[in-house]
Amino acid sequence: MKKKTLAVLMTATLTVSCLAACGNSSDGSKGSDDKKDADSGEITLQVFDAHAYGLDEYAEMAKKFEESHPGVKIEVQHASNDTNTLLQSRINSGDIPDVFDVESGTAAQKYYEYAYDWSDEKEILDKFKETALDTGKNEEGKVMSLPWTYENMGLIYNKDLFEKAGITELPETMDELEEACKKLDAEGITAFALPAKETWVLQQLATHFMMDKSLDAEGVVEKLNSGDLKFEDMKNFQNLFRFLDLAVKYGPDKPLEIDWETSENMLANNEAAIIHMGDWCQSTLDSFNPDANLAFLPCPVSDNADDVTLLSSCNWTYIVNKDSEHLELAKEYLEYILTSEEGQKWMCDGVGAVPGVKTEMEVKGALANDASAYVEEDKTNGWIHTIEPNGYVDIVGPAMQAYMTGDMTAEQVTEEFQNGWVVQ
Amino acid sequence: MKEKGKGKTKDLLVFAVFVFPAVVFVLFSTDVPFLMNLYYSVFEWNGISKEMKFVGLQNFVNIFTNDALFWRSAVFTLKFSVFFVVIINIVSLTVALVMAKEKKSSSIGRAFYYVPYIISLTAISLIWKFILGPGFEALYQVTGWEFFNWSWLGTAKLAFFVVVIMTVWQNLGFYMVNYIAGIIAVPTELIEAAKIDGANKFQAFRRVTLPLIMPAVSICMLTSLTFAFKLFDVIMVFTKGGPANSTVSVAYNIYKEAFVNNRYGMATAKSLVFVVFVLIVTVIQLKVTKNKEVEV
Amino acid sequence: MKKMRKISVLSIVVFVCSIFWLMPLLLIFINSFKPYNDMLQDFLALPKSWNLDAYIETWTNFNFPMLIGNTLVYTICTVLLVGLLAPMAAYKLARTKGMLSNICFGLIIIPMMVPFQSYMITLTRLVANLGLTGSRIGYILVSTGLCMPLAVYMIHGFVKNVPIELEECACIDGAGKLRTYFIIVLPLLKPILTTVVVLDTLATWNDIITNQLIVGGNAKAMNIQNALYMQFSAQTADWEHALPGIVMSMIPSLIFFVIMQKHIVGGVTAGAVKG
Repeated sequence: MKKKTLAVLMTATLTVSCLAACGNSSDGSKGSDDKKDADSGEITLQVFDAHAYGLDEYAEMAKKFEESHPGVKIEVQHASNDTNTLLQSRINSGDIPDVFDVESGTAAQKYYEYAYDWSDEKEILDKFKETALDTGKNEEGKVMSLPWTYENMGLIYNKDLFEKAGITELPETMDELEEACKKLDAEGITAFALPAKETWVLQQLATHFMMDKSLDAEGVVEKLNSGDLKFEDMKNFQNLFRFLDLAVKYGPDKPLEIDWETSENMLANNEAAIIHMGDWCQSTLDSFNPDANLAFLPCPVSDNADDVTLLSSCNWTYIVNKDSEHLELAKEYLEYILTSEEGQKWMCDGVGAVPGVKTEMEVKGALANDASAYVEEDKTNGWIHTIEPNGYVDIVGPAMQAYMTGDMTAEQVTEEFQNGWVVQ
Repeated sequence: MKEKGKGKTKDLLVFAVFVFPAVVFVLFSTDVPFLMNLYYSVFEWNGISKEMKFVGLQNFVNIFTNDALFWRSAVFTLKFSVFFVVIINIVSLTVALVMAKEKKSSSIGRAFYYVPYIISLTAISLIWKFILGPGFEALYQVTGWEFFNWSWLGTAKLAFFVVVIMTVWQNLGFYMVNYIAGIIAVPTELIEAAKIDGANKFQAFRRVTLPLIMPAVSICMLTSLTFAFKLFDVIMVFTKGGPANSTVSVAYNIYKEAFVNNRYGMATAKSLVFVVFVLIVTVIQLKVTKNKEVEV
Repeated sequence: MKKMRKISVLSIVVFVCSIFWLMPLLLIFINSFKPYNDMLQDFLALPKSWNLDAYIETWTNFNFPMLIGNTLVYTICTVLLVGLLAPMAAYKLARTKGMLSNICFGLIIIPMMVPFQSYMITLTRLVANLGLTGSRIGYILVSTGLCMPLAVYMIHGFVKNVPIELEECACIDGAGKLRTYFIIVLPLLKPILTTVVVLDTLATWNDIITNQLIVGGNAKAMNIQNALYMQFSAQTADWEHALPGIVMSMIPSLIFFVIMQKHIVGGVTAGAVKG
């Protein structure tokens, strides 16, 4: 008898829960069952933000916006890894955030059909720097997204270790770089901690060697697309292999196991002298060792000292969903975070980078300030890896790893670079 | 006549109540998505855009003519399958032979071997990452053995063996249990009789036990083979295909094509090629082991 | 005499190995109580103190109550749904002949031969089109559907051995079909149901890929494995918190294992083809 009752009870519960499930799923078309507003009078603005730093400042900034707009709630999803997959899954499920950011260039183009067109809003556009705005334009030159901050990448070196090894002048040619490595090595200092586990870092490193002063990033991409330029003909490209040789010879024992965090940790804690990274890692570096004495080292790519470069671009760009239920509010919020004083504080102070908006504020990040000097001297170039063919990093990054372990020759890797460049 | 018709409708209704809910679930999560492959595979689509471009069979042509990475991943998967199937079956059969005999003391031993199988892959891969990273570093400092200082995850060859060892470690318990069930079913009198006839231990095993546990062997072979072909989770959470794409399995290559490179059409086309491949090998494998069973 | 020794050598090797087999887990456990520096210096030693600070920190900082709660809900719902629907379908399919029955059986069984990876992409499309991406219910529906084929297959095989007379008796008594099923048939299926429950519980608790594909974008609906993966696997792990996290995520399955051990290593799951 007992068993029978139990069976009946179980079935009943299950049926009810099934029914409940079906009932819920039909109205759960927003994609998530946790997003119902507690108060029905409240407007919730969905924001997707792909950054893992400056979070406290961001929260403060969002709170101020909420305070000045009673009844408005800002719901932010911060996602620092797998951002592409996460954003994609939200867009696919129809749960498009009102404001979201993506990497500019090839990646952003895919999202522009959802984006609000800012082209006619002169007043807002005037607040931004011209070069920064260019990173958010579609093929017809319409401004589909607004720039965040400038990001610069190149070699970053530890000043204290350089001093200890007696290096007084920054290496500007490949020979000088090798010389510097030898000096560091003589002092028992690991010269390189290249995060070779990360294929994206290797690929970014490679782009230095694809350019020279005569041709900028867009120019290289255009010529590669049209077939006018081949990797074997690039002036500096073979120096990439010389660079990798140095990184292996004067680097840690297990080069391919160094990920970005380890690499930054070693640099900040005086365990390695040079890494390749960008100023976006400022806050991570600070968290490892706030007293580390670090600066940019423009990457030597040839025997010509004039060829050294940092690569600089506005990598992240913000999109307002043009079909947003609260379009005006979303626009206002984006304008607020990118141009208001709170917003500038977030970018300059919290993140420590040079904003795309014209600003008077002082930038906190040492690396960003360092880079500004090079920007003014015109020693920077643009980014290739954001405007290259889709999936390119997945071909050339591993090939460079294989070179570092000795499984591939320089010629084979060059060939991979060439064959992998498939124009779509 | 009327009565009968009514009875039939009622039967159908009862059938529907019993069977359809399960069918609906399977349709939703498996059958329909599988058929959707056919549709998506003839398009070029980036997974985000509202528009898809019809390209006919171009995706399939690309797989066979212009996708070195896919074929490299196929070679890796085959190589892995050979190593995995051979090692896991030999080791688990050996362990099972001992465990099946020592009935009392073995339950703890069995449990020890089985525990890794019930742990999630996230935990497993983090555990191994820890052991191979900080763990080996600590051991190297204590022992000074070069073995602990090898770049296990940074060298293509070693990473391959790490994947093999890790999967064998995790799955051994499952195969062991299967073999034990087979061995227990073998009547002890037969083995005793063989021994009286002068057979040594190995001969007794080969001539008596092995033929009788052939069904278990074929199940384990088949299961391990399909597992190896579908190798994916470990790669995704552990090596991510690295170093230098040396551990990219076919399934992981497909996953990346869709979710990292945003080529959905291409990825679904690859999925179909993959299914055909798996089915062919499974059928061959089934035929071979079935024949063996009949022979003995 | 000589033979005896030979046997025991192999036995000893196997038993010693079984301890080595557990070694990685033991090492994780003892190191989870140490600060990072001690892990490096005394990797093999027991911790200086069994202090739970890191555990408590991980528990609160990484939202463990919510994660464990999610995973429990998923596991219970999936197992209940499969436990209810699979035996019903399997029983009826085994007892009915004809085209319709064969087709239904085929629809349920065929997915077992097709690798999950081949339709996971389109599965996420389908779920997205239905607006279920990121929702808990969507995930439960999918995971139930994925567990169903194997469960039906196993129970189907079992039902064939259940004598038909019993059901006929009940019919004569005037019991309805559903009542006959729940009162007479279901209790008879208990052994195989146990196996199904064990398999599906472990599969759902340990799932990471499906969870990531279906609810990846919604941090509130993640299960514990997916969250661990997102927190610790993508970067150099913060081992001081990762290790307690791993241990805590394993404890429920270990408890479950100990309770169900007889059914699991006793060989009941033998022949069950997972995956």
